[in-house]
Amino acid sequence: MNKKFAILIAFVALVVVVGISASSYYSTLVEMQQYKPSMAKQTSDTNLKNGSPVLGSKDAPITIIEFGDYQCEGCYHWFHNTRADIIDNYIETGKAKLVFVDLPFLGRDSITAAQATYCAEDQGRYWDYHNILYNFQEEIDNGWASKDRLVAFAYNLDMNLDEFNYCMDSSKYNKRVKANYDEAIKQGVEATPTFIIITSDGTPAKIQGAQPYAAFLKVMDPLTSAIPIEQP
Amino acid sequence: MLIPLSILSEFIFTEPFFIINITESSSISFMLILGVSIMSAIVIPMNVYRIKTLQKSSSKIGGSVIGSIIGASAGICSCGPIGFSLISTFGTVAGTATAFLTNYEIPLRVGSIAILCLVYYTTTRSISSECKIS
Repeated sequence: MNKKFAILIAFVALVVVVGISASSYYSTLVEMQQYKPSMAKQTSDTNLKNGSPVLGSKDAPITIIEFGDYQCEGCYHWFHNTRADIIDNYIETGKAKLVFVDLPFLGRDSITAAQATYCAEDQGRYWDYHNILYNFQEEIDNGWASKDRLVAFAYNLDMNLDEFNYCMDSSKYNKRVKANYDEAIKQGVEATPTFIIITSDGTPAKIQGAQPYAAFLKVMDPLTSAIPIEQP
Repeated sequence: MLIPLSILSEFIFTEPFFIINITESSSISFMLILGVSIMSAIVIPMNVYRIKTLQKSSSKIGGSVIGSIIGASAGICSCGPIGFSLISTFGTVAGTATAFLTNYEIPLRVGSIAILCLVYYTTTRSISSECKIS
């Protein structure tokens, strides 16, 4: 009898905790509803017009598309452990270019952080802002990417705060972030970070997760060796 | 248990190639997964032995199962396929739950190892006393 009573109490406590959590995020639920994924299907064409500005040469034959969330721990690890090698060996050598496409699903601050990057793009500081977000990432929705912190990041980058605040307050890039989210779902992305590597002839290769540089080397070296070297 | 947990926590990747990736920053997390796996591998068979061979009650196996579940679910990357599926299906409540499991990964895994150690202690005592020749 005592055991059954204890189990009942535990169950009721669990229901209460879940209920409180759900009610405390009600406003977020309403906002996040518009980001619930629809039917996903694979497609070989990736629409990048709403994505980040290109990192690297626009003429680079290989395109690396990174689908990420600014609150994603895996994205943080990839940013700090692998990205520098990719930039040094592929992007700065003109073999590849990088485009970041938002997939903000982890929390409410994921969406506003993504919007803030495009507000930074208005002032030509997209990649600086992108980098600062991954350098200062903390726990999901603990306030590290609140509106005030996002403004503080802009302040640290010597950006025009009036412009930045106006951009954020007007939710200027809400639709753009939503479009990126929908594109990611359309491409069958189901985790972050996910990379789609597209060659000049449109052939895609997919890498899912914060994989080390060795994985990218194995995928991309055969692609880059097929690129004809222009003789002077 | 070590292999599935390592895959779910993105220490082992199987596509497009088989790769094991343990960075300096994630070494503590991997050590905790190792601890949970080892303790679960010891404690759960001990309790199964108690139930089947000694035909004792199954009450103590609950602790080992709970410890294993907590240790297994803590820290599973909420940005991985499982977290994404849960959040896509259940919305914000799942997001809150997975964020909690991610944010408190280390305390939860340490707690589950503590639970498993306690169950190990009580199980060994129980088996020792039950096997005494009176």
